[in-house]
Amino acid sequence: MSIFARIRRIPFWSWFWFILGALYFLLPLYATVNFSLRMERDVIGFKAYVRAFEDPEFLETFLYSNFLALMTIVASIILIVPTAYWIRLRLPEARRIVEFITLLPFVVPAIILVFGLIRIYSSPFKIPLTDITILQPLTTFEVGTDILIVAGYMVLGLPYMYRSVDTGMRTVDVRTLTEAAQSLGASWFTIITRVILPNIRAALLSGALLTFAIVVGEVTLASFLGVPAFGPYLFLLGQHRAYEPAALSFASFLLTWAAMGLIQLFTGDQQVSGAH
Amino acid sequence: MSYLSISRVTKQFGDTVVVDDFNLDVEKGEFVSFLGPSGCGKTTTLRMVAGFEIPTSGKILLDGADITDKAPNQRNVGMIFQSYALFPNMTVAQNIGFGLRVRKEPENMVKQRVEEMVSLINLEKHANKYPYQLSGGQQQRVSLARALAIHPQVLLLDEPLSALDAKIRISLRAEIRAIQKKLGITAIFVTHDQEEALSISDRIVVMNTGVMEQVGTPFEIYNFPKTRFVANFVGSLNTADAEVVDPAKGLVSMDGVQFESAEGTEGRKKGDKVKIAIRPERLSFASEQKKANVVDATIENITFLGSVVRIQVKIGNTKFNMDTFNNPFLELPGLGSKEQVTCSKEAVLVLDE
Ligand SMILES: Nc1ncnc2c1ncn2[C@@H]1O[C@H](COP(=O)(O)OP(=O)(O)O)[C@@H](O)[C@H]1O
Ligand SMILES: [Mg+2]
Repeated sequence: MSIFARIRRIPFWSWFWFILGALYFLLPLYATVNFSLRMERDVIGFKAYVRAFEDPEFLETFLYSNFLALMTIVASIILIVPTAYWIRLRLPEARRIVEFITLLPFVVPAIILVFGLIRIYSSPFKIPLTDITILQPLTTFEVGTDILIVAGYMVLGLPYMYRSVDTGMRTVDVRTLTEAAQSLGASWFTIITRVILPNIRAALLSGALLTFAIVVGEVTLASFLGVPAFGPYLFLLGQHRAYEPAALSFASFLLTWAAMGLIQLFTGDQQVSGAH
Repeated sequence: MSYLSISRVTKQFGDTVVVDDFNLDVEKGEFVSFLGPSGCGKTTTLRMVAGFEIPTSGKILLDGADITDKAPNQRNVGMIFQSYALFPNMTVAQNIGFGLRVRKEPENMVKQRVEEMVSLINLEKHANKYPYQLSGGQQQRVSLARALAIHPQVLLLDEPLSALDAKIRISLRAEIRAIQKKLGITAIFVTHDQEEALSISDRIVVMNTGVMEQVGTPFEIYNFPKTRFVANFVGSLNTADAEVVDPAKGLVSMDGVQFESAEGTEGRKKGDKVKIAIRPERLSFASEQKKANVVDATIENITFLGSVVRIQVKIGNTKFNMDTFNNPFLELPGLGSKEQVTCSKEAVLVLDE
């Protein structure tokens, strides 16, 4: 059957809703792009983009946020992969509880999270029952704050990362693969690094890209912890400029799409991706 | 002293006893099947040998060493799963080499052994393919090669053929048996398929609800089932209610029709309620020379099953199946006609009710 014949078979109302939905999504995007191209009067051009990218603060905050995203992704994988693995393998009855916990970031707003973090970590660590300080408050020095914000981002990314990893583990029968590897003499470390991880790469990638998208655009945690991240920068820019924010938001749209494309590429044909 | 010895092994999950007092000695190079219905504890027993489950009590010895509590990756045991369990991210050759690389064997040794194994299973052309590019039968052969590559002391197979279609199942089971014999490897094979167990094994352990019912050669299990369960589970069987008439002579009566049995009535009294059981292929039409059990029967139905013709006859008030080999010159009686059928004394099994 030709593509046209197939398209003609789709009922009218399906088309109607599809087009309505597409317009709802595409019109504002079109308006943004259109606006971003009109920084100079009567000329269509990329001036707003050039301006936005020229700003040194743009690059600085963008790179810093990328660094935070990378740290968050690495830490999340180290924490979540063995957890999800162990739950699938030995504690299936804990699945419900853990799934509930992973949904909490959707229910508890980021603002609550950040105030909690600040309250707890803005006082020094002392050895219990003594006055000996072992660590200055995390909020008072740069590395400390980075650790704090990465921890916060891990919480925000938890639903996406955990679910991706868990789904990835469902598609390969981790339990039987583990037993096969064990009977061949493999240790836990070998099993996780050489059997489990390579087989959930697609899932890891989609979890990582979603985490990346969250971290790079995040405003609340970054501004309350006072770090020079991309989210707050974009926010401030939006309050003082007109054209550049439009340009940047379209650019970040493209970035997101590229990320989604990558996910599709790697998850679309799971078996082939697992084969390389 | 036997090579693999499972002694007094019991396994409980919570309060449920899943395997109860399991005792088995397996000789080196022997092929033993665990046969029984689903849920009877075959897999659990096998997993205790593999180390994936620890017995609640009892001991497992392998070549003289106590392995009861050893971790699975410390035992030298090959395991084959129903779902093949090949590593999807590795090629055939990498799968087969995995166990050797884990053991840090030198790379040239690994390569050589992988080649050996690949040719053992006749998949030379597919060595660089990924599992998803192979058929189910090919995948299971790879998993066999992967398990054998590490020179395991015992090969454990958990329903390895259940996911395959009928033709492949039969050819692969012959191949497994041939390879096992060629390498002289000790194997335990779990199945719920009696034909599979009968055709492949040196010995069969018939299990029911966690208990061993009978251990014996396929010949013994089929021809001399010790319990009613075994008689019923292995092969097909006609059974009927009967009553002991004369324990000394082995006479029992079914709806007034008398049968003579060669064994099974000792220790019983006249009037005891029993079951008699006769395999369909042991019944035949009575010829001129008189034999022990000749009874009147009505032909009820005739079914062609290919090489066998199944004739349903009514003896007394009970319907029996009677199997006879098909041949073009077979003269079959008409439906409803009255005939005499017979079976030897040895064919009549007397079982507890
Ligand atoms: N991990 C477990 N926890 C609780 N019950 C189990 C577990 N594994 C198996 N069982 C139970 O033990 C019984 C025997 O199982 P299994 O050995 O798999 O039987 P088979 O392989 O003969 O079909 C079944 O009733 C099963 O539900
Ligand atoms: Mg089983």
